[in-house]
Amino acid sequence: MAHTQEIKERINSIESTQKITSAMFMISSTKLARAKRDLEAARPYIYGIQNLIERMLRHIPDIEHPFLRDDPKPEEKRVYGYFVITSDRGLAGAYNYNVLMETERLMEGKPNVKLFVMGEVGRHHFTKRGYEIEKYFHEEAVSPTRDMARHIAFWILELYRNDEIDEMYVVYNAMKNPIQDEVRTQQVLPLQATLPNVDMSAVLDVQQEEFILQPTPKDVIDTVVPSYIRGFIFSTLIESFCAEQNSRMLAMQVANDSANEMLHDLKIEYNRERQATITQEITEISAGARARKKSKKQKPE
Amino acid sequence: MSVNGNTAELKIISPDGIFFEGRMKAVIVPGLDGQIEFLPHHEEIIIKIRIGELKYQTPDEVWHLVAIGSGAVQFANNRCTILADTAERPEDIDRKRAQEALERAKERLQQKKSFEEYRLSQMALARALNRLKITDQD
Repeated sequence: MAHTQEIKERINSIESTQKITSAMFMISSTKLARAKRDLEAARPYIYGIQNLIERMLRHIPDIEHPFLRDDPKPEEKRVYGYFVITSDRGLAGAYNYNVLMETERLMEGKPNVKLFVMGEVGRHHFTKRGYEIEKYFHEEAVSPTRDMARHIAFWILELYRNDEIDEMYVVYNAMKNPIQDEVRTQQVLPLQATLPNVDMSAVLDVQQEEFILQPTPKDVIDTVVPSYIRGFIFSTLIESFCAEQNSRMLAMQVANDSANEMLHDLKIEYNRERQATITQEITEISAGARARKKSKKQKPE
Repeated sequence: MSVNGNTAELKIISPDGIFFEGRMKAVIVPGLDGQIEFLPHHEEIIIKIRIGELKYQTPDEVWHLVAIGSGAVQFANNRCTILADTAERPEDIDRKRAQEALERAKERLQQKKSFEEYRLSQMALARALNRLKITDQD
């Protein structure tokens, strides 16, 4: 009897865990839906700015600006900046692990690295391994905000302007399709490397429109590039957020499924055990009854 | 002498989405050294704009007011594309929130913080002031 009691307790405990996992699944799916909407809304802006920068580069190919061109520096003096986006909470499958591993791989063999970390999990990971974190960002709000993106972009630009970083990358998770995330690494600065369409040899073939840049080309780039970076960081934050929710949904789905499987097995075991106990009792009773019958039969003789 | 049908395509885009897309007869943007008006068939130009108010006139002669953040205006092939950090209609601005943001920014500016934080607060202050100014007008 004690054994069935134990099984019953386990079933109860699994059922209550399952309540939590299915609730988390629901929460993640609503958050995902909202974040996807935000992402769609932000897209035209990113494309618009990208176009604008490409156009400027196409028309003024000899433009010189630290945001655009690479500063030739020997490898041992180059400073690589990485902005790593992780989540504040776990229980999201391999979401954080993948992005952290990718960052470590990128950092390998680089003499000077500056880390910008978003999310508690990433901070914990890098401090535990003895890496120095240049700047840690923490998201207070439920989903990424433009304030947050502005803040992050500001720090990145500030360090880049002061020549403390030579190359800046963002490492983040993106949803490849609804069942799979992938880690992406995108270079943010200098911009030249990040815009695939700017091919200087093509400039000659394009019909040249005369563009006026006011007040000066440098001023325009000074404004447009930070805007682009703000927008881009915002979009990566949302994309990561989507991926995080997606990973969590999948993780919770798997947890739910295995809970169901365990419950199924335990219920069979429970029933079998109960049946065994009943059978045992019946056997005992009938054996006892038979014993008495026998002794009754024997007495009169 | 308004010429009927003399319009240009206007598109205002912010990270929140496409704010406005349609025909316009004129648009006034906050340039670095004062307001700049664009009329249809303006020559090709890219200019930088700062935080301030933007006005555009739709073909029905109505002027629309927008609180705009910093960004850039691009005019090419009779298409005007405005890309800005923020774009809000006066009626969508929460005055109370802007007021709070203003107080917060002022407070932070007074504390002796690092230069970077000073600049961040300054930007926040400019945004809050602009929101309040624009909602004051109507």
